[in-house]
Amino acid sequence: MRFLLPVFIFCFLFSGAVAQDRATLSGYVRDGRNGEGLIGVSVFIREAGTGVSTNAYGFYSITLPPGGYTVIYSYVGYSKSEEAVRLNQDLKKDIELKEASRELDEVVVSTTREDENVKSLEMSVNKVEMKTIKKMPALLGEVDLIKSIQLLPGVSTVGEGSSGFNVRGGDISQNLVLLDEAPVYNSSHLFGFFSIFNPDAVKDMKLIKGGIAPQYGGRISSILDVRMKEGNSKRREVAGGIGTIFSRLTYEQPFAAGKGSFIVAGRRSYLDVLAKPFLNKDLRGSKFYYYDLTTKVNYRLGDKDTFFASGYFGRDVFGGGGFGFEWGNATATARWNRVFSNKLFMNLTGYYSNYDYSLQMGEETDSDAFKWNSKIISSSLKPDFTYYLSPNNQLTFGGQYIHYHAKPAQALAISENERIDLSQDARYADETALYIGNEQRLGEKLSLQYGVRYSLFRSLGPGTFYRYEEVKAGERKQPVLPGETFEKGKVVKQYGNWEPRFSMNIGVTPTASVKASYNRTAQYLHLLSNTAASTPLDVWTLSSLNIKPQLADQVALGWFQNFRNNAYDFSIEVYYKDLKNQLDYVPNSELLLNPFVEGDLLPGAGRAYGAEFYIKKNKGKLTGWLSYTLSRTERKVNTINNNDWFPTRFDKPHNASLVAIYDLSERLSLSGNFVIASGTPATYPTNRFEYNGWALPDNYYNARNNNRIGAYHRLDLAATLKLRRKLFRIGEQELVLSVYNVYNRRNPFSVFGRINEENALKTEAIRYAVMGSVIPSLTYNFKF
Amino acid sequence: MEKNKRNNSVLKSVAALLMLTGLWGCEDIIDLETETGPPLLVVDGWITNQAGSQKIQLTKSAAYFDNSPALPALQAEVWIEDDLGKIYHFEDAKSDGNYQWQPAEADSALGAVGRSYTLHIEHEGESYTAQNEIKRVPAIDSLVFTHESWPVTPEKGPKDGFVAEFYARDFEGTGDCYWIKPLRDGKAYKNNPVYISIAYDAAFSSESATDGLIFIQPIRQSLTIGELFEDKDLVGVELLSIDEAAFNFLSRVRTQASNGGLFAVPFSNLPTNVKSTSGKKVLGFFGASAVNRMEQRVDANTARPRR
Repeated sequence: MRFLLPVFIFCFLFSGAVAQDRATLSGYVRDGRNGEGLIGVSVFIREAGTGVSTNAYGFYSITLPPGGYTVIYSYVGYSKSEEAVRLNQDLKKDIELKEASRELDEVVVSTTREDENVKSLEMSVNKVEMKTIKKMPALLGEVDLIKSIQLLPGVSTVGEGSSGFNVRGGDISQNLVLLDEAPVYNSSHLFGFFSIFNPDAVKDMKLIKGGIAPQYGGRISSILDVRMKEGNSKRREVAGGIGTIFSRLTYEQPFAAGKGSFIVAGRRSYLDVLAKPFLNKDLRGSKFYYYDLTTKVNYRLGDKDTFFASGYFGRDVFGGGGFGFEWGNATATARWNRVFSNKLFMNLTGYYSNYDYSLQMGEETDSDAFKWNSKIISSSLKPDFTYYLSPNNQLTFGGQYIHYHAKPAQALAISENERIDLSQDARYADETALYIGNEQRLGEKLSLQYGVRYSLFRSLGPGTFYRYEEVKAGERKQPVLPGETFEKGKVVKQYGNWEPRFSMNIGVTPTASVKASYNRTAQYLHLLSNTAASTPLDVWTLSSLNIKPQLADQVALGWFQNFRNNAYDFSIEVYYKDLKNQLDYVPNSELLLNPFVEGDLLPGAGRAYGAEFYIKKNKGKLTGWLSYTLSRTERKVNTINNNDWFPTRFDKPHNASLVAIYDLSERLSLSGNFVIASGTPATYPTNRFEYNGWALPDNYYNARNNNRIGAYHRLDLAATLKLRRKLFRIGEQELVLSVYNVYNRRNPFSVFGRINEENALKTEAIRYAVMGSVIPSLTYNFKF
Repeated sequence: MEKNKRNNSVLKSVAALLMLTGLWGCEDIIDLETETGPPLLVVDGWITNQAGSQKIQLTKSAAYFDNSPALPALQAEVWIEDDLGKIYHFEDAKSDGNYQWQPAEADSALGAVGRSYTLHIEHEGESYTAQNEIKRVPAIDSLVFTHESWPVTPEKGPKDGFVAEFYARDFEGTGDCYWIKPLRDGKAYKNNPVYISIAYDAAFSSESATDGLIFIQPIRQSLTIGELFEDKDLVGVELLSIDEAAFNFLSRVRTQASNGGLFAVPFSNLPTNVKSTSGKKVLGFFGASAVNRMEQRVDANTARPRR
C-alpha cells in the first residue's frame, strides 16, 4: 500500500487549499428523548440541493461556500428539524430530534430526503428498525433480530431452529456479525432457536449483502452491523419484561451531568427455576439455562472526544448427572471518537472477542471421564477515518490489525484411571488490512463510491504443520509425517489479497435510480461444519498451509424507486456471486478433536445468482414489507455429485415473506408475518441392499441434493396492547400475545430414508419437522 | 474421538433438553417416490477363525422402499484363496444365494490369525475379487455388571437394573481395529446398524492416541443399549478383530443409519472392498475376523454398587 501515503498527503494539502473560501458545518445528531446518537440521519441543505448522512456515531460534516442556508435534519420516525444557519466560518451544530407521534407521520411534508433508498449509494443493504422488530410476531414471544432479518430479500436458512442465516448463497460462517464492531462467532442461544442479541440493548442494525464498502472485511458474504444503545443521557430509565423463555431487565442512567451515560442489560431463561420443584431427586441437579449480559458506557470529553466501552457476555449451560455442556461468546470493545478538525472524524476501536465451549462427562477424579474445551480468541485494533473533503467527496481510510489465537481442542480422556491427553496444538495468526475509499458526487445524477482494501493474513508459529497426500480422490488425505515445526512468531504461510470495491448511483428521475456495484471480499477464518444445521461444537479454523482463503466476487445491479411521497420504498436487484475455496468434506469426516482435520477437507467452487424484489411501506397506520427472492446457490466439488454443480443445503429457488404491522390505535397494534419458500434440497437413496441383516442405502447415480423436500410456509400473528394503567405513574406497560405457526403446519426440515428401529430390514421415509405445532405465547414488557 | 458416536450421545442429551424447554422435533412416516437404479450384485461375506462352516451370501440390490426380501444371485462360482495358495470352494447347495464352505472335519476352521484371504466370484460373466486378512484379537478379561437406577421409568427394560460392561486391553502398536458385538441368551442382541460398536485401538478413532489401553468406558459399556439388564440375564460379548477398511465401512454404515434431523450430515454412498475386473459397480463388503467370546449371567449379589 505504498501508494496510499501520497494519496493521504495530497488530500490534506488539497483540503487546506480549498478551505480558504469555504466553511464547514458539523456536529452530532441525537435522539431528544435519550441522547443516543442517531445513525444515518439525512442532513440536507435546501439552497445547495445537497446533503450528507450522519455516521455510525451520529456525526456529520458538510463543507459549503459561505452564506445563509436552511439545514433540514430528517430521520424516519422522527419529526423533522429545520435550522437556519449563517455559515461565515466553520460552525458546530448539535441537533436533537424528537420521535414523531403517529399523527405526524401521516402529514410529513416532503421537500427533503426520506428518499435514502433512491439517493444513497448503498445498495443490497437492509435496515430494520428495532421498533419494527419489537412489534413483529416472534417465536415464543422472544423478539429476535436474526429471525427478523431472515425475512429480508436474499436471506435464507437451512430450516427452522437452525443457527445463523445465509446471505445470497453464502454459508452462515461467511457473515461478519458485529456487535459494537467486535465479531460474534456464534449468534445463537439453544442451537439457533434464539439469537444472542438482547432487543432492549440494541439501537440499530444493518445488513450489508453487497456493495460492501472498503472499511469492512474478513467475511465474504455479508456484514450484520449491530450497534448497542449508549444509555440514556437524559434520565434514568428501567425497562424489562417477562417472556415465555427469557426474563429481561435493562437499566440506563446518565452521569457527569449528561456528559456520560451507561446501560446494563441482562436476560436469563428461567424455565429451570420453574421446573426445579417438579423434578425428582436424580434430575434436580440438571442445569439448563442461557443468559446474556450487555453493558455499555460512554463519556463525552469536551466537544471533540467521546469514549465508549461496551461488553457482551452470554452463555448456554446444560448438564446434569456428570454431564456438562456449555458455550458462549464474550466480547469487549473500547472506542474513541475524535473530531480532529470539523472535517476529519476518527473512530479508533480496540476489541477482544472470545468464543468457547466445553463438554464434559464425569469428573477428573473419576476412573473414567472425558473433558474437552475449545476456543477462538481474536483481538484487534482498528482506526477508521472519515475526511469530509467537500460536499461532493467524502474520503474514508484506515486499517485493522487482528491477532487470532485458536485452541481447537484441549482435551483429556480418562479410561480406568489411565489418562490420555487428546489436546491439539494451538494455532496463531494475524490479519492486517489497509483501505481507502471515496464517495464522490459527480453532478446531480451520478455518485460513485470506489476504493480498495488490501488484506494480509499470516499463519504463525509455534506449532507443527503438515502437508497432506491424496490416497484416493474424494477420500481422507494422509498427513506427511513427521511434519514441520515452526518457532514462535515464524511465518508458516501468508496470503495477501487486493479487494476492490465499487458502487454507483445514477439518478433516473427524482424518485428513481439505477445502482450497480462490484466487490471482492476475502475470508481467512473457516467454520468447519458438515451438519445440516451448525452446532455449537463446530470449530473455527484459521487458513493455513492447506486451507486457502475463501474469496468472493459479487456484481449487483438494481432499480430503486420511491412512491407516494416516499411512503413506499421499492427495489429490484439482480446479483451474481462467484466463490472460491469453499469447503466441503470427505465422507465420514471427523471435524472434531482431529489434529489432521485438514486431510478431511475438500475445497471447491461456488456460485450464486438471483433476483430480489422488495417493497416496503414506511408511513401510515400500516407498515411492513413484501420481499421475494428468486435465486440459485450451487457448489462444485471434485468427486461429489459426479464432479457436477449441485445445490447447497440452503438453496431455496423461491423465497417470499410478508411482514405487516397495523397500528389500530395508540394502544393496540397488530402484526403478522407470512413466509413461503421452496423446500430445501435432499439426497434420497435409490436402492437398498441387504447386508448382515440390515437394509443399507445406495444412490446408484452418486448424486448430491438432486431432490427437493416439500415447500415451507408459515403464518405468525401478534398483538401488542399498551396498558392504560401507568407503571409508577410514569411508566409504560404492555402485553404482547404472539402466535407462531398459526395454522399448525408441520413444515419439513428434512426428509430422508431410514431403516426401522425394530426391524433393520425395513426401510421407511421419514419427514422431520422441528416445530410440530402452533406455539402461542404471552409476554409482559415494562418501562419507566 | 469419533465424531458421530460422540455427537450422538451429546445430541441425544440435547434433544432431551430441547424437550424440557418445550421445543421439540417430530417425525412422521410418509410415502416417498424415489428414482431406482438397476439391480447390482451384493456381496455379504464375513469369514472368521471359528471352527465350522463359513458363508458368503450373494443377492441383488432393489428399489430403496421395496421391503420384500432381496433376490438371491444364483449360479455364481465362489472361492477363497489364502496367501499360501490354498483354495476353499463355496457351494450354493439350496440355490438360495447362500454359498457355503464345509470343513472336512467339523472342528477345523477356514480362517487363521495372520493369514490373508482373497475372495473370488464369477457371476453373470463378471469377475469380482476382494481381499482381507485376519488380525490379532485380545483376550476378554471379564464381564462386569453394575447396579443402575434410571431417574424415570424407561419405555423399555427395567427402571432398576444393571449396566453390563466388558474389560479387555488393546494391543501395543497403533492401528488395531475391533468390532464389539453384544449377545443376549447366546444370540446376537440388537443387531441394528445404529448400535454398531467399533473401536480403533482403545477408543473411537485413529486420531486419538489411545494405543495399548483398556477399552474406554463408552466402548466397554456398549453392550448396554438403551435398556438395563435384569438379574439372571445371560449377557455376552464377541470381540472381533477387523481391518481398517472394515472399520471405515462399519463406521459409515452406522452414520447413515442414524442420520437425520437438525444435525444430519450429507448422504454419501458406502465404501466397498469388492472390485469387479470391468469396473462394474458392486455393493457389500468382504470381512475377516478373529473372534473372542465371553458370556456370563447377571448376578445381583456380586454386581458392583451403583456409581
